[in-house]
Amino acid sequence: MNNALADPRVIIAVGVGAVLVALMVPPLWMLMQDSVTTTDAFGDITGFTLQHFQKLVIEKRALISLWNSLLFAAGSTVLSLLTGGILAWLVERTNAPLKVLAYLVAIISMGTPYVLHVIAWLFLLGKVGPLNDLWRQMTGETGVLFNVNSMAGMILIEGFLWSPLVFLLLGSTFRNANADMEEAARMSGASVLDTLRRISLPLAMPSLLALALFVFIRAIGGFEVPALVGMPGRIYVLTTDVYESTVTVPPDLGHAAAFSIVMVAIVAVLLAFYGRLSRNAERYHSITGKGFRPRPFDLGRGRWIAGGLIVLNFVVVLLLPLLTLGWMSLLPFLRSISLAGMASLTLKNYRAVFTAHGYVDLAINSLLVAAGSATAIMAITALAGWIAGRNGPGGRILDQLATLSLVFPGICLGVAVMEVWLRVPLPIYGTLWIIGIAYVIRYMPFGMRYVYSAVLQLHRELEEAASVAGAGTMTTLRRIVAPLLTPALVAGWLFIFLIANKELAIAVLLASPHSQVIAVAIFDQWVNGQGGELAAFGLIWTVLMTIIATVFFVFTRRGGVDVYGN
Amino acid sequence: MLIVRDLTKIFGDRSDSKAGGVRDFSFELPPGTFFTLLGPSGCGKTTTLRCIAGLERPDAGVIRVGDITLHDSETGTSVPMNRRGIGMVFQSYAIWPHMTVFENVAFPLRVAKDRRYGREEIRTLVVEALGTVGLGGYADRPATRLSGGQQQRVALARAIVHKPRLLLLDEPLSNLDASLREEMRIELRRLQQQIGLTTVYVTHDQAEALAMSDLIAVMELGRVAQMDEPRAIYFRPANEFVARFIGAANLLHGVCEAAAGPGDRGAVTLDDGARIGCIFPAGGVAGRAVTVSLRPESLAISTHRDLDASNTLAGTVIAGSFLGGSARYDVQVNQRILRVSAPSDQIFAIGSVVSLTFSLDSAVVVG
Repeated sequence: MNNALADPRVIIAVGVGAVLVALMVPPLWMLMQDSVTTTDAFGDITGFTLQHFQKLVIEKRALISLWNSLLFAAGSTVLSLLTGGILAWLVERTNAPLKVLAYLVAIISMGTPYVLHVIAWLFLLGKVGPLNDLWRQMTGETGVLFNVNSMAGMILIEGFLWSPLVFLLLGSTFRNANADMEEAARMSGASVLDTLRRISLPLAMPSLLALALFVFIRAIGGFEVPALVGMPGRIYVLTTDVYESTVTVPPDLGHAAAFSIVMVAIVAVLLAFYGRLSRNAERYHSITGKGFRPRPFDLGRGRWIAGGLIVLNFVVVLLLPLLTLGWMSLLPFLRSISLAGMASLTLKNYRAVFTAHGYVDLAINSLLVAAGSATAIMAITALAGWIAGRNGPGGRILDQLATLSLVFPGICLGVAVMEVWLRVPLPIYGTLWIIGIAYVIRYMPFGMRYVYSAVLQLHRELEEAASVAGAGTMTTLRRIVAPLLTPALVAGWLFIFLIANKELAIAVLLASPHSQVIAVAIFDQWVNGQGGELAAFGLIWTVLMTIIATVFFVFTRRGGVDVYGN
Repeated sequence: MLIVRDLTKIFGDRSDSKAGGVRDFSFELPPGTFFTLLGPSGCGKTTTLRCIAGLERPDAGVIRVGDITLHDSETGTSVPMNRRGIGMVFQSYAIWPHMTVFENVAFPLRVAKDRRYGREEIRTLVVEALGTVGLGGYADRPATRLSGGQQQRVALARAIVHKPRLLLLDEPLSNLDASLREEMRIELRRLQQQIGLTTVYVTHDQAEALAMSDLIAVMELGRVAQMDEPRAIYFRPANEFVARFIGAANLLHGVCEAAAGPGDRGAVTLDDGARIGCIFPAGGVAGRAVTVSLRPESLAISTHRDLDASNTLAGTVIAGSFLGGSARYDVQVNQRILRVSAPSDQIFAIGSVVSLTFSLDSAVVVG
């Protein structure tokens, strides 16, 4: 007993565990409590009830939202897997030309806030956008060819939003695949198509399914597209329903909580499946031979078609949205793309961004919150991940605590954190702190994933050698473990920093006029019709984030830390 | 059977002499030959194999099996790898984990383009191939539930099931543990002779090469250092590299005393003044500096001093180790240290003065 207490790892485990419990448990508890209680005007609990859940079952609207959510998530998963998957295979395993364009798309998308992408697409495909404009001019009709505020529009935009990530993740699957497997098939007499169909695809299938489920889970919790594209067309999904019932006056928090609990349950079940699938995927990893670079498939004349697809992806997923934002940023008010519009081009919006106080403050706020929460997460997970990876005291519990928030779709976490801090008598609600805390909870699993897999790759004997040499636990941690984990810590930090600045859902309910972050500000401005300034600001921001994304990309590639938060 | 002419495939910077690959490699194998490419990593042996397989495209050269040209850089002929009719075993075995043993072995028959195999025929051929490699009864096992040795046999069965013209083996034993490796060495050789298949084998293990091959090409930095049958490689190394790489020979420097024709015997004055009788496999020129290879096991060590006998060197034991079947001593002879292998029942204390004798034929001038 004395020995256990003297073990510094126990002290670390208890300390880190306490922090994790304080962060992770209250939001979940609060959601459960809110979903089964009634409250008075002051938020005090007045009784126990199941009416929130009853309403979900009785109201047709809830079922429609659920159905929409599933349809939306499934559709965008299929679309992003198809586009990203084909692209990844072409780039990693064939001799297609212009591969660099595919990486360019992936890196720049990594730095662009989702909400900015969505706005560009809304304009492109919208009523006055160039697509419908062109159609009207060509046919003389007065209607629209494509109504973007539809399920099809939502799936299309969400699919494009995810395809760069699918490209990166599947790319590393294809890159790390054992090329011997394919070469053995070719030596056995199989053609390229035979090999693809009978060997490559079946071997990649577990990874593909796991990735599909991952994208599906993220799309179920997606908020940007349902809010900006779906809501104006009166198409509601679970996340926008939660959002609506929270922002209406008076807010129906019981309803929001019940809805959230349903989503959390769905996601938890899917996550369990996901865990099993990705373990399955690992079983297919076999002994690899010597490090011969896999020889790319020769597509023959087909390589130019492949190059065409890569260019098409570049144009559609990256160039068009960027050009659209560029156009929007140069106009004093939103109008369709035309020659007549050229006359009114102006740099007024850019001047406004640099002179008005709000924007610079906003940028600094966003950077501060993201950097602060990334730092906090990596500090906590460096310890938790090390103990979990080494099966230290309470390792499993720490791992489960740190990854608990995976079950929260961003919007639900927003509701939960808001509820928690409304009741805690600390002046945090309405400040940047609450956003930071929500980020820390939300992105903790990503930090954990980075550290944990890095610890597993670290040979245990490196630490044992330090102990034998006479170093205590803390010295080993400081002198051996920490330096060797640094690449993973830096990669994790950068990833969290980037994604925190990308996502809208968590912060949207927590930001106040005095504590804005970038994604929320862009969202608000779009809703208020200030398209020009937001486009100018968004583009400048994208350039800044692309630089950081490039650093992240080069760093992870060089260090071999091939994790993108999956 | 297999003809390779002027095969060249260079990786990386062409001007860099250290770049990997293979240069101007030519050889010709009679049917049924077990041919081994032997050398340290980066010597070009695997590149050569992959060029024959069609997994790499040679920069120059001709590859022909029988009267069929697989590759000819001059005419631009290159048969796609899946039409070459070659069987290959990979270092990692590359057993597809999503198929059963049966399906793994049946694969080459199922994807064959030149003819269609019927259900019964496939079954017969697969069972036959599995029987040949000693895995009868394993057909329905999932491929993931096989030991390393079994995976290796499945890979072999898959490589021979469609009766290829040529079998390529890429370090197939390197992932097995020592005892299994020795067993498979004999087994592979037996199988190869039973089927009579022309085989190209890649390895960095000299014992494997010597034990299994009809013909060995020792490779260094993309070029052939020596190509000959195992005994010749061992007893008549053509140069210092081969002498050192195969069996870690002692190399002594000296001067050739008189002209000698190829295969003649002659005398060499070593740089410490001692005279020894040697064999000159490639002939010798009087006054020319030469290197003599002396294998540790061809040196007889004794405390009995008989300095008048020819080919005797006197020295002092400075280190010794007992290896079970034999013992190894380091003996200082003047300024150089010679490695000596002795029967393990003879014991020589460190510091004892000994004499080393060897036959004239075991001192080989290597260049």
